[in-house]
Amino acid sequence: MNIPMHRFKYTKLTKEQIDKKLIPTAAGPECASEFSDILSGKSFKIVTKDGPVLDYTFKNKNNLTLSENGGSKVKTGYGALTLKQMVFFSHMIPKSETPRGYNVFVDLDTNLVTVFEVWLSSGRKYPTLGGKEIVVDDREVQRQIYFGYIEVKGQEPPEKLHHLTNRIEGKGMYWKQDTGIETLEFYASVVSSNFVELTRHADDLSYCSPSDYVLINDNMFIYDRTECEFSGIFTLFVADLFTETQAGVRLGFNEKDELEYYMFRGTGKVVGQLAYLEPFDDHGDEPMVVQAESDPQSLGKGQRLVYRPVRDFQYMTDEEVHQAALKKTTAFGGGMDAVQSMAGHNMPFTDMLVGKEFTLRYDSGGPVRHYRITEKYKLKYKEDGETKWHEEDYRAYEADEKLIWFSHILTDSKPRASVQVALDLINGLTTCIHSQMGTKYFGNETSYYAIFGVAEMEGLEAPQYVRHEFTDELLGHAFSWSYTDQMTSMHLYTTPHSHSWTIFTENQTMGAQWCAPCIYVKVRDGIYILSVNEEACNGHEMCVMINTKIIHDCGFGFSGGEGGINLSLTGAIGRHIGQFDVKEYFGSKVKRKGA
Amino acid sequence: MDILKSTSKPCDILEHPNTGRRSFMWKIGAAMSAVLASAVPGMSRPRIDRDKGLTAQVDQLFNKLGILEDENAIRRLHQTYENLLNNGRYKEVMNLFTDDGEVVFNGGVFKGKKRGVRRLYCDQFSSRLTGRKIEPAPGFRPGIEQQQDMVEVTADRKSARARFTYSIQVGAPIISDSILVKMARLQGQGIMKWWEGGTYEVSYVRDIKDSTWKIKRLEYRVQSKADFRPGRSYARPIFIPPFSKAYPEDQGGPDKLIHPAQGLRKA
Repeated sequence: MNIPMHRFKYTKLTKEQIDKKLIPTAAGPECASEFSDILSGKSFKIVTKDGPVLDYTFKNKNNLTLSENGGSKVKTGYGALTLKQMVFFSHMIPKSETPRGYNVFVDLDTNLVTVFEVWLSSGRKYPTLGGKEIVVDDREVQRQIYFGYIEVKGQEPPEKLHHLTNRIEGKGMYWKQDTGIETLEFYASVVSSNFVELTRHADDLSYCSPSDYVLINDNMFIYDRTECEFSGIFTLFVADLFTETQAGVRLGFNEKDELEYYMFRGTGKVVGQLAYLEPFDDHGDEPMVVQAESDPQSLGKGQRLVYRPVRDFQYMTDEEVHQAALKKTTAFGGGMDAVQSMAGHNMPFTDMLVGKEFTLRYDSGGPVRHYRITEKYKLKYKEDGETKWHEEDYRAYEADEKLIWFSHILTDSKPRASVQVALDLINGLTTCIHSQMGTKYFGNETSYYAIFGVAEMEGLEAPQYVRHEFTDELLGHAFSWSYTDQMTSMHLYTTPHSHSWTIFTENQTMGAQWCAPCIYVKVRDGIYILSVNEEACNGHEMCVMINTKIIHDCGFGFSGGEGGINLSLTGAIGRHIGQFDVKEYFGSKVKRKGA
Repeated sequence: MDILKSTSKPCDILEHPNTGRRSFMWKIGAAMSAVLASAVPGMSRPRIDRDKGLTAQVDQLFNKLGILEDENAIRRLHQTYENLLNNGRYKEVMNLFTDDGEVVFNGGVFKGKKRGVRRLYCDQFSSRLTGRKIEPAPGFRPGIEQQQDMVEVTADRKSARARFTYSIQVGAPIISDSILVKMARLQGQGIMKWWEGGTYEVSYVRDIKDSTWKIKRLEYRVQSKADFRPGRSYARPIFIPPFSKAYPEDQGGPDKLIHPAQGLRKA
């Protein structure tokens, strides 16, 4: 698949279509590995806290009978896999009014059980942040977790059950299933995870999905993710960190609307661990709950924190956006709120360009721009061949020693455009991130590209061949970025072409996540440009220069919509949170793409 | 959590004022007056004078007792107000107000129980998690003289006014197009929080329908604001701009803007 998941138009499968497609699940899941017969001939009753009582009888390794809460018995197919002392079995319940099933993890050492009830066609209504009420796609698998135990006659119920955890937070793993499917997974939040499809997708992009983490013991955990707002498919497994092995299930419909209901085994590798920053006495064993009554999460079965940004994104054509741009295009005057929320910890502006005249000449027939700068916040420029100077507001930072990072609007551009320019006053190299309104999906999304070149200026002798260049040096690194004392997110540079951001909760637990494709440019050792458009989200571009020596970034935001076009400021102080060692999984040398 | 799960109404005590000790006093008082009145024809003048004096003393006593009861009821009403805010039960707060009740907050007057007052508590406070009681910010603890709570009930016992100190957490949503802020809102954040200390200046009236006390006007009279949150050991004073737009221009804003100094008088 070479269409990014956030751009793919997944079919709105109806309940009837889903019911029909799920009929084969009555026979149980498929599996490339051999199913275990450990449960054959056995019966037991599972008692869950605040959930169902499940009475199971296993006829053989493929068929079971279930009675829920003492109700009538239902026969269905199932599959079971073992991982050390854990037995994991999965089945659906045929002919349910709402298509549903159970995925059950039994710990034979403790008799503790974790049950994931799953269902589709939920009809779940959901208020978005923009105040719209949406109905969740029927194909989105829902889940509810119950913690319980196997009832043993004459024994008291256990006092402690499995529970949610933050012990997995910050861990990264590579996995290869017995199906040949390979993924990189970064468990960077307690309610979400990043994943990179190394074999299913052609591009090295990461995605985010709501997730749960359950602690079995010090080395074993259960993980799930639901690809909400994408295919809605559900992946669930138990993993052992000692042996770096897994056993799990995948349920749902892929991009071709084909049913995937299979169990798998896999082997993997821990690729790193980020620090997690919550208080030391916080073990994450309580679910993250919303704190305000007005928040768009309703408590109840299946509740989870799901970010659905595109649901609130209003489509505009290129022309509509340009008309808005003609009415209002602002630079660095986007109001105090922009300064407060995204640039409270910005770097200072520099006047190092004042009094300078120079030409920036970009490669391969790229633009040639002549600059004449006489003020700290106003510049004059003209394109090669133009006779008239354009005057624009600009802001410039000294992002590193004699390294200038400045931005301005391109006068009367259509589509409206801005440039973010790195100008190295020591070696004469320059990089321009050209940003403009419009993608092939939305007129009100930004797009951008990098062009490399040299500066011609008195006292500078630029090289002929050396240039700034795209880089993977930030790959796997994570930084917290505090834009203000009230707003901090963690950037995780997940792949050479994408990154994710995660919002800290009040006690610095990692919460909501989203991600987007991006580019990374190396300007100097330890100094990088990151440019990202929050695709299928709000369409805004953030273009920052990251100085890892002082762990500070500074830069610009570019966005447009009904209210016009805005070139704004951003900047944050950071902390290095850790790094995943994942370079070996990326690059053109990797031959496994498109499997 | 227990409080949230409780099925009892927070204002039960206010909705059933004629039960308990106070009601007993009223009944005894009425009965004694009746006895005295029926005994008057058979009494001699000095006795009548003495009895009249006694009656007046009893009435005075009962009035004093009634005022004390009223003061306690008002303190309980204020306690209910604070408890509801502490527990985020903003919708229930507005039920403590008269229909034409109003609140002065951050340079604006919110008028009418079902309009402005509702807007303040259910829109502004609810989305900002405002009003929760927290410890005073370090260095901002009010002096003893500032901590003198006061309740005064009028002689006719139809109205009252009170002053209570407060120390609360206040918040304002970070207004931004930033996706980070929107995501933070998803998990109940994206709110700039600060500490605020001052006094509530409150006036009350007795509801003639059920004889309960209701808040007629409540004013947050701010003394200090600081960038403090629980757990921090330091705090710095901060300036928070007052409301700059009134409703409906600001959908959650006050019905009327007032200059901060005006808030000390009736707007």
